[in-house]
Amino acid sequence: MEETKILIVDDDPDFTAVLKTVLEGESYVVDTAPGRAEAMEKIQADKPDLLLLDVMMATWSDGFEMARDIRKNPEYKGMPIIMLTGVEQRTGIGFKSTAGDPEWLPVDGFLDKPVEPQVLIAEVKKVLSGKP
Amino acid sequence: MEPVPEDIRLLNGAYWLTRLRWIAIICVPIGTYFCGSVLGIALREIPMYTVATLLFLYNVAVLVMLDRAARADREVSPRAVKRIIHLQICTDLILLTVLLHFSGGIENPLVFFFIFHMVIAGILLSPKESYLQATFAVLLFGLLVLLEHKQLLRHYCLTGFVPHCLQESMLYIFGTFLVFTTALYVAVYMANYIATRLKRAERAYKQANVMLEEKDRIKDEYVSRVTHDIKGHLATIQGCLAVAVDRMTGKLEDPEADLIHRAHTRSVKLTNFVRALLRLTQMRLSNKLEMADFSMGEALLNVTGAVQAKAADKSITLNCNIDSSVENVFGNQFSIEEMVTNLLLNAIKYTPANGTIDVRASSGENSVLVKISDTGIGIPKEEQAQVFDEFFRASNAKRAERDGTGLGLSIVKYIVERHGGQIQVESEEGHGTTFNLTLPRTA
Repeated sequence: MEETKILIVDDDPDFTAVLKTVLEGESYVVDTAPGRAEAMEKIQADKPDLLLLDVMMATWSDGFEMARDIRKNPEYKGMPIIMLTGVEQRTGIGFKSTAGDPEWLPVDGFLDKPVEPQVLIAEVKKVLSGKP
Repeated sequence: MEPVPEDIRLLNGAYWLTRLRWIAIICVPIGTYFCGSVLGIALREIPMYTVATLLFLYNVAVLVMLDRAARADREVSPRAVKRIIHLQICTDLILLTVLLHFSGGIENPLVFFFIFHMVIAGILLSPKESYLQATFAVLLFGLLVLLEHKQLLRHYCLTGFVPHCLQESMLYIFGTFLVFTTALYVAVYMANYIATRLKRAERAYKQANVMLEEKDRIKDEYVSRVTHDIKGHLATIQGCLAVAVDRMTGKLEDPEADLIHRAHTRSVKLTNFVRALLRLTQMRLSNKLEMADFSMGEALLNVTGAVQAKAADKSITLNCNIDSSVENVFGNQFSIEEMVTNLLLNAIKYTPANGTIDVRASSGENSVLVKISDTGIGIPKEEQAQVFDEFFRASNAKRAERDGTGLGLSIVKYIVERHGGQIQVESEEGHGTTFNLTLPRTA
């Protein structure tokens, strides 16, 4: 079986370490990036199969913007994205209902922080299997 | 702005009246001289100058009375001040009537100067009292006009100003008197109306202020309660993790051990944040801080001694210079030491290795000055105003150190202000920061 590459984009090194440990336990190949610029470089170089993207990094909407940028680029159009968020409580914006809307929020799944390992694995599997 | 209490408002009003009277005292002789000698209007000059002199003497007497009322005891009696205001207005009205008598009575347009006193009465006195003053003015002036008309009192015609003695004309007298009376009462009504509105607005501001303070207190209590609960759970989590970390030493390559280690570090950081938040809120909630005389020099030595090791870890030189003239300070030594510790730990945190931190204490005028300067990363100019704001962290501080509560300097500022002191920051990005602290010797 061909190995599945996952890129985690989050500016919290401890949180990425947790996700990495969990996903590596499921035999995925995991890489991490702390910010947008590093993430874009790694996407170009490694072409990951799945992106785990944090909403709030340097600015509160960094993750959103990055997701839109990726979708605009024909090369990565099909790359599935799962968005990690702790934002909802703080901003009161319920954007989960808009998931999948290609204009507003072009992502394939959502995960609330903190993430239970089983939930994370299930969501990752679901999104990856839905890949055409 | 604090609303002015009634007694002070009245006292200020009374002084204001005396100041206005100085203007009248200057203007009466000048006006008399100008009208008599330059315009050639017939005036009884001697009585006019006499009235001006009387005004002067009486104004001095009023000032003496007011000073005594204000000084007698520290509480100014509003009733005593009000009596002086009544006396002033009545005397002014009488003197103005006398002045009018010697300068043409009803022929003199100066009659409308009565209105000034009506406005003043409307502002300073109650509606009832000011209407009484208006009635007094109307009676005084009415009596003068009546006596002059009936020739029981001599009428001095304003020859040169009016074509002929107007007071002989019944119609003129009635017309002028009617307009005069209405003008006085309307002036009182309007001044009262405005003064009442202002007082009501002032009271509303005061109430709103009290309400806001209460809401702020409730918010603080809420934060304090929540933080306290969080701290309890957190302490247990941190304790459990600490034991686990302890037992896993040597097995750090295990991913489990790594995760537990990370969790422990994060729980320590969160505990620090919660502790700082709790400290700030509780300080705000407690009204009193136990104060005593303590040696500022000793407190500074305690603190510098306590953080010396931390500075040495980063090879930072920590100098402490305390001027022998530095005396005792009246305050809470624990808080002051906590405050200086916060400043020094900040300095150590944001000063690169091999830097220098200087603590200097000297005595100012009835105060102690403490200067804490470092050779650290500094604070960007445009962010210096915000460094004392809660949760604020300078952009370069965030880059240099990921962790920080943004509460340290808020606590510092709060403690300094609680002691009646001041703190200022001077800094240049990349070159260092200096905090200048002024603490009064007695709070």
